[in-house]
Amino acid sequence: MIRRIYLTSKLNDAVIDYFSLSRFQLHHGKARCSKSTSCCCFFSVMEERSSIVKTPLNNVLTQRRSKSYRRSMRSCVEATNLGYTSGHLTALRIPRSRRTPKSRDITKQVDPDQVALLVTKEWELSYVTPLYQFRHTQLKSYSKHLSAFIVSEKQQGLAIEVGQELGFKVNFSVVLGLAETDEDAETVFIQILSKHAFAAKDDAQKVVWSGWLTCVNGDLEYLRSLPSEFVSLPLLCTRGPESLTVLVKSWFEKTFDCCFGPLGINSTNLQWLAALWIGCHPTINIQYLKLVWTLPTLPPMDVKYTIHPQDAWELWDSVRQDDTTDVSIEEVTRFIKGLQSHFFRHFRIELSAGSLMQVSTALGSSHHSGKIKIASPTYITTILQLLTECALLKMPI
Amino acid sequence: MAKASNLTRTDLDSSFESYLSVSSRTSNRSLRVAEKERRKSQTGDPFVLALKYFSEVEAGTPCSGNDVLERNLVLVERVGLSRGLPPEAISVMLDYAMSLRMGGVMCVRVLKFLIPATVVPQEAVVRAVSWLCVGKIAISTQVLFLRWVLTVFDMIDSKDHLRAIYGFIFSFVTEESLSPYICHLLYLLTRRESVRPFRVRKLLDLQTKMGRQPFLLLLLSLYKVFYPELVTLALPSRMRSGFKNHNSTWKVALSAVQKRNNGQVSSDISLTLGLKDKTNSRKRKFHHLELPSLSSSIQSNSSSRSRKVFPLEQLHSFPQLLDNLHCIELPSQMGSLLGSSLALCYLDYVQDDSAFLRLNFWLGHALHEEFLFCSGDGGSGSSSEALHFLNRLLSTQHFLQEGFSSTEGFLYKFLNVWDGSLLRPQILGLLSDIPVVPSSCISQLLFEPLMQLFFTSTLFFKCSVIDCLNSMLLKWLTWHSVYALEDGLDISLNSHTPMNMTLSGFMDSVMELVRFVGRLATVGLQLEGCHSLLLSFILDFYETVCDMFLKYGLPLVVMPPVGVFYPALFATDPVSVDRLGYIMYRYKKNLTSAKCQQQETKQAFHISRQTYQEFNHYLLFMVSCLWNSKMFLPGMAIEVDQELLALSKVPEPWTSFDLIHHPAFLGCALDFHHKCWPERKDIDLNSIKAGKQWDWYPEFLFSQGFQGLQQFVQSSINRRSAAGINGQRGSQPTNSYWLHHLENNIFP
Repeated sequence: MIRRIYLTSKLNDAVIDYFSLSRFQLHHGKARCSKSTSCCCFFSVMEERSSIVKTPLNNVLTQRRSKSYRRSMRSCVEATNLGYTSGHLTALRIPRSRRTPKSRDITKQVDPDQVALLVTKEWELSYVTPLYQFRHTQLKSYSKHLSAFIVSEKQQGLAIEVGQELGFKVNFSVVLGLAETDEDAETVFIQILSKHAFAAKDDAQKVVWSGWLTCVNGDLEYLRSLPSEFVSLPLLCTRGPESLTVLVKSWFEKTFDCCFGPLGINSTNLQWLAALWIGCHPTINIQYLKLVWTLPTLPPMDVKYTIHPQDAWELWDSVRQDDTTDVSIEEVTRFIKGLQSHFFRHFRIELSAGSLMQVSTALGSSHHSGKIKIASPTYITTILQLLTECALLKMPI
Repeated sequence: MAKASNLTRTDLDSSFESYLSVSSRTSNRSLRVAEKERRKSQTGDPFVLALKYFSEVEAGTPCSGNDVLERNLVLVERVGLSRGLPPEAISVMLDYAMSLRMGGVMCVRVLKFLIPATVVPQEAVVRAVSWLCVGKIAISTQVLFLRWVLTVFDMIDSKDHLRAIYGFIFSFVTEESLSPYICHLLYLLTRRESVRPFRVRKLLDLQTKMGRQPFLLLLLSLYKVFYPELVTLALPSRMRSGFKNHNSTWKVALSAVQKRNNGQVSSDISLTLGLKDKTNSRKRKFHHLELPSLSSSIQSNSSSRSRKVFPLEQLHSFPQLLDNLHCIELPSQMGSLLGSSLALCYLDYVQDDSAFLRLNFWLGHALHEEFLFCSGDGGSGSSSEALHFLNRLLSTQHFLQEGFSSTEGFLYKFLNVWDGSLLRPQILGLLSDIPVVPSSCISQLLFEPLMQLFFTSTLFFKCSVIDCLNSMLLKWLTWHSVYALEDGLDISLNSHTPMNMTLSGFMDSVMELVRFVGRLATVGLQLEGCHSLLLSFILDFYETVCDMFLKYGLPLVVMPPVGVFYPALFATDPVSVDRLGYIMYRYKKNLTSAKCQQQETKQAFHISRQTYQEFNHYLLFMVSCLWNSKMFLPGMAIEVDQELLALSKVPEPWTSFDLIHHPAFLGCALDFHHKCWPERKDIDLNSIKAGKQWDWYPEFLFSQGFQGLQQFVQSSINRRSAAGINGQRGSQPTNSYWLHHLENNIFP
């Protein structure tokens, strides 16, 4: 308690850089308002619900439909994990606690060149249902097909021979070593290179689009329950023009009978990310912790709240109950509550009434709409694990 | 010539065979055998002689001024245009024309009247194509010939020899003016084995030379169906319509001949391409609800290149499905199956786990994205699409007679956020399809959200919920009866799967459902003031419930709660009372046969004593209230203090719900009274109770169509005693029958 008071008083010393009322950015604010207010409220309700009622794990296997009673049994299995009224929210699917982020030099397992491709870029997130008959051994032929597909879609009504030299070149490659467990499928990295129409022969091709499909520490039971023809790489990160993203997705849908959907990061997960990054502070200087809230006022108000890393760390340290390796959701909530009450004390604005939209530190940043940037390769697996969880929670069955 | 026109077609056919032997006419053999029996000697037939002339005429015979030729030609032409040429004639004439024995002019003339009466022998076409290879024929004539082949394509008796010369036909594709027709012909002939990389490359070369020609693209798109790994293309929407028809020259004559032969050969001359056209042109950012189009997968092809496969895209009829059942290949996107009932037939047949899983992933994704995550543009614009989609899903589920598990999972989530009005018929329809839910979670998954919706919405919603639960129960019971029959009463189904449900588990679920509806109905009737519409839906439900034992073999009898029974008994409309009578009658039937079975087999099952008691209570009350005019007596279900009754100042309150005074039957009673005593001005309904009228009155009621009441009375009331005794209060009907039968239960 004393420590808390000490802390807040210390925070007092102008750790808050600024907060801006978005009244000054009315145009911007309005656009967001319509989206965020309606969306957020809905999401908070929906996601809670969907997570609760989420079909679990072993039922995927028993998906086999039949007109018999077998089906019902599946529902039974399903139901045991439902309990949305009781406190134990799907313990299987929504983790109540996580391991503290462990610093891991990923470059020891993964080719540093490939890691360099993944970090320091902002990626847009999508979830993917399991891929049917995806084989890591076929990547070469996938490259050929995807490039032919892109060209033929771009030039409607022109048949394209697969394997021909085209304006686009697609590279599929495996990022070995990112997978954590045996059940995790290896990450697949896709690059689309384009040759300028008038480029000279030896001109280097330019990367116009890149994306990767990954699965890090995916729920074991879920992954094991899938039949062997399916490969689950639930998280897709993309970067590049939207039109190419659409084409790539549509090719995947046609080829592997999977479906894509946007993957937003809800407030709870943003809070987790904030806590995970703060937890890294003793080993890597996070430099700052910046949180952005949007409050449902008229006009909507964006609050940008920047905290000195040392203060944040001390607050975090004080809410940590013991030195176990696990961080619980209660600790995360307490941490955010602490920040919010401090803010309230100064500005009389209840941040908990709004929704957390963005979290950023020097280690990376993430946005509610499903964008993430990972700046340092050290904690990449921790973050990917969290995102894999989010993606798996979106699976329809 | 006059004689020729009198010839019947069969005569022609048979007369031919004596002259000509066209070797390879394999089909129509049975027809031929039949014709042979009726064969007459027709050697003198001028038509036959004419054909003989054409088959034997020497090359180089001049045609101008050749009267014999002219005569014969006119003869054949007339037959051809009026009733069509028999196969042999086609063969002879085609050979004559294409060999250019009398020059190109003749060829064109002959081709124009080459209307087949029945079929075209494929050997004739093959020979004609071989003449084409000689290369003497003028291009325009070649085009005419190809158009003719395309027109009569469906009438060619078999196509295997034509397919065998696929390569020869393919070689014409480079001929610029022939190319469209050749492509069309190839399109019709192409099988998986005819698609070769060098042909693909040839066509792509042509494409670079000739530009984006629809005929090339259509042929290539077919190649893509068979070998998606060789070629890829996106057909623009304007090109999706298919090939043009080239039948203009023969169209009129052909349809006239076909009409005349009243469609003995079912030939569909519209050779359109079965490419699915996109239904919605409206641009949406997200297409969750759009069915993917059927297309074969790159994946499986590469693994099974040698095996003969039949892509679903090529499937157009049920016989085709049956012929290719062993080698059908599932499409690359399972969601596309939802649009085709043929494909669904196949899906139902294969029972492929992965296929269902893929379909469920797609379906679940579409439903979640559209209705739960709402990540698309959502809003009002998509409601018609959503409607369309759900209707299609519903019809698919009805076709397969089961619900998809992804729909089920979706519904459990959606019920919690549903406002009860969005797409109500569809959602409730889907809800009624969900399979048996185990009793342990049925309340949480289904009842709690439904209850909230039920109590807070309109009468019509209440009715549709009850209706939905009724059809859900019906489906569950049907599943049960099917599987109980298959496996006997022991429902530990399919011992090789870990999943099964015991009979008692199933019964628990049904019990829960029936009780839940009982609760809903009780409160619903109170809330809506016993609305007869709602009551009618509730009685529908109990009509299902009362017959569970006899109709569906489920050893379970659940009585309606008092909150349903009494409102139905005291309903102001006779229909409800009548239906209640029917329901009680069925309950009695079920209980009696259950009891019989129980006594016979000793251990079959046990219907609780309480059920019998409840039934007896209801029965006693119903009989004494409707028949014996006894109510509110001590020991009956409804007891009212005598003094309190006296306060109401209703004279003889115990009679107010008998068959005569019951508000539902009052009109009938008045009617009956009027018929008995037409001249009486003062109406005394009680007089019906005396003497013969009391015997007649029920008959009168039954004649008004109250069948349920009739069955109830006949099964539960013993009127034999009534005939003898004319004691006080009319006859003394008793329910002694029942007292006798269920004695031990009435007096436990």
